[in-house]
Amino acid sequence: MEFGSVLNALILGLSIASIWLIAALGLTIIYGAAGVINMAHGALIMLGAYSAYMLQHYVGVPYLLCIPASFVIVAVVGLILERGLIQYLYNRPLDTLLATYGVALVLVQGVRLIFGSDPKYLAVPEIFSSSFMIGSVSISTFRVIVLAVTALLVFGIWVLFYKTRFGVQVRAVMQNKEMAASFGINASRVYMLTFALGAGLAGVAGSLFGVLNIVLPTMGDSYVVQAFLMVVVGGGSLAGTIIASFASGELQSMFAFFTNDTFARFLIFVLIVVFLRFKPQGLFAKAGVRR
Amino acid sequence: MAGLLEIHHLCKSFDTIKVIDDFSLEVVEGTLCCLVGPNGAGKTTTMDLITGRIKPTSGKLVFAGEDITGQDEHVIARAGIGRKFQVPAVLRDLTVRQNLTVAFSRQTNPFFNLLRFNVPGLKDKLDEIATLAGLTHRLDERAGILSHGETQWLEIGMVLMQSPRLMLMDEPIAGMTEGEIEKTARIFKELRKSTTLIVVEHDMGFVREIADVVTVMHMGSLLAQGTIQQIESDPRVRDVYLGEQEAA
Amino acid sequence: MGNLYYNKTAQWIAYAAFFAALAIIPMRIDDDFLLNQLATYGVYGLLALSISLCWGFGGILNLGQGIAFGLGAYGMAMTMQMQSQTVENPIPPIMLNNGLDYLPYLWWPFQNTASGLIFALGIPTLFCAVFGRIMFKARVSGAFFAIMTLAMLSAFYTIILDQQAYTGGVNGITPPSPLRLGSFEIDPYSSVGYWVVFFALLIATVVAKLITQSSFGLVTQAIRDDAERVRFLGYSVSGYETVIYSISGFIAAIAGCLWVMLVQYVSPAQLDVGFSISMVIWAAIGGRMSLIGSIIGAFVIQGGQSYLGDAFLSTWLLFLGGFFILVVRFLPNGLASLVEAGLGLIATKSKTATSHEPNGAKPFPAE
Repeated sequence: MEFGSVLNALILGLSIASIWLIAALGLTIIYGAAGVINMAHGALIMLGAYSAYMLQHYVGVPYLLCIPASFVIVAVVGLILERGLIQYLYNRPLDTLLATYGVALVLVQGVRLIFGSDPKYLAVPEIFSSSFMIGSVSISTFRVIVLAVTALLVFGIWVLFYKTRFGVQVRAVMQNKEMAASFGINASRVYMLTFALGAGLAGVAGSLFGVLNIVLPTMGDSYVVQAFLMVVVGGGSLAGTIIASFASGELQSMFAFFTNDTFARFLIFVLIVVFLRFKPQGLFAKAGVRR
Repeated sequence: MAGLLEIHHLCKSFDTIKVIDDFSLEVVEGTLCCLVGPNGAGKTTTMDLITGRIKPTSGKLVFAGEDITGQDEHVIARAGIGRKFQVPAVLRDLTVRQNLTVAFSRQTNPFFNLLRFNVPGLKDKLDEIATLAGLTHRLDERAGILSHGETQWLEIGMVLMQSPRLMLMDEPIAGMTEGEIEKTARIFKELRKSTTLIVVEHDMGFVREIADVVTVMHMGSLLAQGTIQQIESDPRVRDVYLGEQEAA
Repeated sequence: MGNLYYNKTAQWIAYAAFFAALAIIPMRIDDDFLLNQLATYGVYGLLALSISLCWGFGGILNLGQGIAFGLGAYGMAMTMQMQSQTVENPIPPIMLNNGLDYLPYLWWPFQNTASGLIFALGIPTLFCAVFGRIMFKARVSGAFFAIMTLAMLSAFYTIILDQQAYTGGVNGITPPSPLRLGSFEIDPYSSVGYWVVFFALLIATVVAKLITQSSFGLVTQAIRDDAERVRFLGYSVSGYETVIYSISGFIAAIAGCLWVMLVQYVSPAQLDVGFSISMVIWAAIGGRMSLIGSIIGAFVIQGGQSYLGDAFLSTWLLFLGGFFILVVRFLPNGLASLVEAGLGLIATKSKTATSHEPNGAKPFPAE
């Protein structure tokens, strides 16, 4: 085994980790703050990609501006979703899971009816589609962009949740909804904004994934299970999701180096099941609710 | 005479906070022991430790001569400890009859229960307990619609259906009317003849009426133990507990 | 007079009527292809039944029922494939096409039909027992368990896709001839295939119904309601959960075997996430707490889907998704709860005619 290829695998792992992390960010926030398992997350990622595609294709917006625009568009969709459906289901976790799957079905089929099942492509500036070398390792520029955007978003979320008034409110609601309400915090509004934020993050992920892969109505499906596992392993906290994504990204890459991509994926799934056998609450669990 | 339940040097810490600190207690068979103490003294945590809901950091629990330390909840329940929760916990979506039937848990093996449609002895026991709990006319109602007092009664009834050797009652009369409290006291005194009880209660009048032994907890440890007269004349107890009540 | 919906005799009569109606179908239909298609609905009915048992009664939401279904289907496909191998030609084409010139150990049990069928049903059930035991013992429940079943499903999907030489990869296995039991061949395009599925569904439904009425069934419903409380009554919650999950998996494995018997084909698509979730949708729309409601849910939804055909698939799924959202939001116990409410109304009317007893809140369906 030569050093260069191991390094290559490690760098690839970092890239995989950033993709899984950005897919899981929105989910983590929604699950962590409101306890909602949002099965529509994959469909929201897909919407992000189609938003970018529409803006680029019909309006001619440059790609870099499509990323924040996707955030806004999908956040608005998330907001409507929360007000129209999710807010009625907060104390029924299994029903939220099912209802959001219904939402995913509607979104995916709706997009398929409008845009058809043939793949769409997002064009990126020349420089993004190049790659460069570090020593003997070839790195695609766009994957570095994904990594950078992920890091930026993580930092942004950290600032938002730990350095702002809104963050204090969210954490207060997470701790104890009734108590927070008695301090004049509007829990319903906090949930609504968190959900919109989580959806918006899915939109950003979509606008990036649309470049990494082709844009298809079903493109979100392949990310959603993976993203859920990152949240579950992480125990619903931001730090947990980051560590889970990083660890499984690197492991995936290492396993794939010795076997192949599909088998590596299988191994990761099995490892996660074993992990949860011993730490069912995930890495950084909130304290269990007592009677 | 060895106690039915022996608690030896029990400790429980959450993170760095010691909730139960070197607590020892012996409950003699056939007595009714009242566990009292100010809020946060660790009474409910002690119940959780005895029934296996949480595992002790150190110390030992012996029930009927068997070490039950660190066992799962259902193992301890099968050994003969029944529990009523502080916030009444009944199966709200099932009927009162179904609640009592489930609680009649002589046979707990899932495979055996797959083949069982009529439970021997259930009908008599159910009639007896339903009458005792005053729920005969409510048997086919959903437990979720019962009043607070009825829910308390249903849960006490469920514990009785289990016929445990030791019953733990966490605040059994909370939210009951004067008449209901009297009835509860009467039944507890009746139960005392055939079984052993630990009752957590704040209402000193109720404690005075039913207790054989009173155990006072404070800051997770045993503060005093004795008859109600001894406890009420104990200056330490006055300081931490009765004093607090008077102030309130 | 109480609500007929909770009357056990009335329930059994409804079951008898339902199966009598299903039994008339093959006598009235000559079209063997249609009969085959109707039989596949029976398989979907079995799957909906298995979900209803596990989720409606046990409270365990399983989004990975495709594992048991798929493993059962693969086992059956391997058995049927080996039936058509001869002494001169002992190796199935999948292996030869993938450069394997010997029969892998994985396939050995399927050389004999009886042992093949035992493995086809036993392996999925064993998987459920082991996986269920691990998860429930660790007290993974509710939405987390649902996610873990999804993860396991994806794991199986990827491994089957990956191990092409053993499983046929994305193309799956296509046994060339129908299933033979001894010297008897079950022609899937005949009433025989229909009757096999009919009796499987009948027996599974009766057994499931009996389970829900047994002491075991009552304990599982208690666990669905409040698992924590049931522990203190002396029941091993993880034990009960594992058993109901495994029984449900066993039924799904039977469904998998029957499905391959009918269509002579299996591929990783049977372990697709979407398919497993549609099983849950059938049960949810029909009424997860009603065994027969779930079965009817499967019939209606799958029937509607194939009636409209592939041309309208997207539109159909769009409306199905929308309808599903409405059911979850407003009718958590599915369309069966409309029947329940209707019968309750009749009961109340006849009651007020005779007495002035107030109408108390309805008890939960005993079913």
